[in-house]
Amino acid sequence: MSGLLRRSGSFAEETNDPSVSPELVAEALRPVPEFCDVMDAHIHDVIEQTGEAAEGIVHKLVAIDSLAEMMSGDVARLASTLGHVESELVTVTGANDQLVDRLIRYFIYRDEQIHRLVEEMRGLKQHVKQIEEVSKATNILALNAMIEAVRAGDAGEGFAVVADEVRKLADRSRQAANGIGSSLADLTTRLDEVLARDQDFDQDEAAVEATMDTAMTRRLAGVASAQREMSEMVSTILHDALQAASQVESTSSALTDETTGAVGHIQFQDISRQMLEHVLAALGDVRRQSEDLVAYSRGALGAEALREKMIRVDDLRARHVMGRQRATHAASTGGPAEADTAPMIELF
Amino acid sequence: MTTVMLVDDSATMLMSLKSILTKAGYAVETAGHGKEALDKLGKGVKPNLIISDVNMPQMDGITFVREARKSPGLRFTPMLMLTTESEQAKRTEAKSAGATGWLVKPVAPEQLLGVIKQVLPGA
Repeated sequence: MSGLLRRSGSFAEETNDPSVSPELVAEALRPVPEFCDVMDAHIHDVIEQTGEAAEGIVHKLVAIDSLAEMMSGDVARLASTLGHVESELVTVTGANDQLVDRLIRYFIYRDEQIHRLVEEMRGLKQHVKQIEEVSKATNILALNAMIEAVRAGDAGEGFAVVADEVRKLADRSRQAANGIGSSLADLTTRLDEVLARDQDFDQDEAAVEATMDTAMTRRLAGVASAQREMSEMVSTILHDALQAASQVESTSSALTDETTGAVGHIQFQDISRQMLEHVLAALGDVRRQSEDLVAYSRGALGAEALREKMIRVDDLRARHVMGRQRATHAASTGGPAEADTAPMIELF
Repeated sequence: MTTVMLVDDSATMLMSLKSILTKAGYAVETAGHGKEALDKLGKGVKPNLIISDVNMPQMDGITFVREARKSPGLRFTPMLMLTTESEQAKRTEAKSAGATGWLVKPVAPEQLLGVIKQVLPGA
């Protein structure tokens, strides 16, 4: 643009040369306004096009932003749910472990009770032996009584003694029978009580050790171990899922930040628009000057008037508002570069 | 909810800034130039912060700030200028008109939100 202006300036000086034909100047400048109109149209088209494009980008980015935010919310909810499930699983696993442990103690307790009852039943053998002995002695005495009865005939003095002994033995047999009956009744009662009452275990649970090694406890311990393995496996899966969810949440958050940044970058369109508007204004100046030149060459505009309205590069520089515009201007015209020292953000 | 009024003649700027501020939790009101902004303020819109462009049709940003400051309800409302203008003379003029700060486009979203937190510490 500045090159075009420089060329225009030197041409203006040439028109003051009497050797230059005004008709030729007019002919050369006549297409310039139309040329400028075309450029104007093109630049307006660029402004419109970039505006539409930027608007479309913003719509897309805003939509992506909303989706990313929704995804972030979904993942956060998923992570919360998984965390809750893991917490519940830990609670359930702990409760199951306690239940299985209590079951083992209960079975050991029952086992010990049954063993004690068996031992008591073994005590009944003594009473049985007593009865056997009494029976044996009674048989002998009965035999002796029979012999004495035969030998004595009518004299039954000895028989009376034997009969007395038999009576005593019978009495001992009765006592033994009573002992057996009493023990059995007591045992039956206690068995009934033990089988009917569970609360004894609640009272005595602490005294029972869960380390007894029996087929039953080994089996139950195996069940408990399998249950623990399953719980640990599920817990590991949940932990992995939580990590994955956390990662997705983090990625989603980063995606949201990126899209927000992209939305911020759309400010380029506003900056480009303002820069192009300045170019349009400059083109308008060129167009006006070319029309003035045509008027001058035809004698419709005086030389003084032409000079007054003549475009100047310094005027163009005065219209720049951005530091970047001033730098570009300086680079194009070879003028001194003005350093933009003011801060980009300033609070008064 | 903290309300921010955006004043800019660029629809693209309004759209992108509104997206950034809404996502950060602010309610946003928009106007295409200073006159429209004054009309909205006159109809009861009460922003906690105003962010305005400088070069706009019908009424530029500095004039808008000067006019808005005349309203008793807006005497202490922070007003930031967000513009491509970088000339010191314009900054001084904006400061005299009652602007709270000056931000040169383009400004990164995190920088903009940081400045808002500075001028609205309780929001």
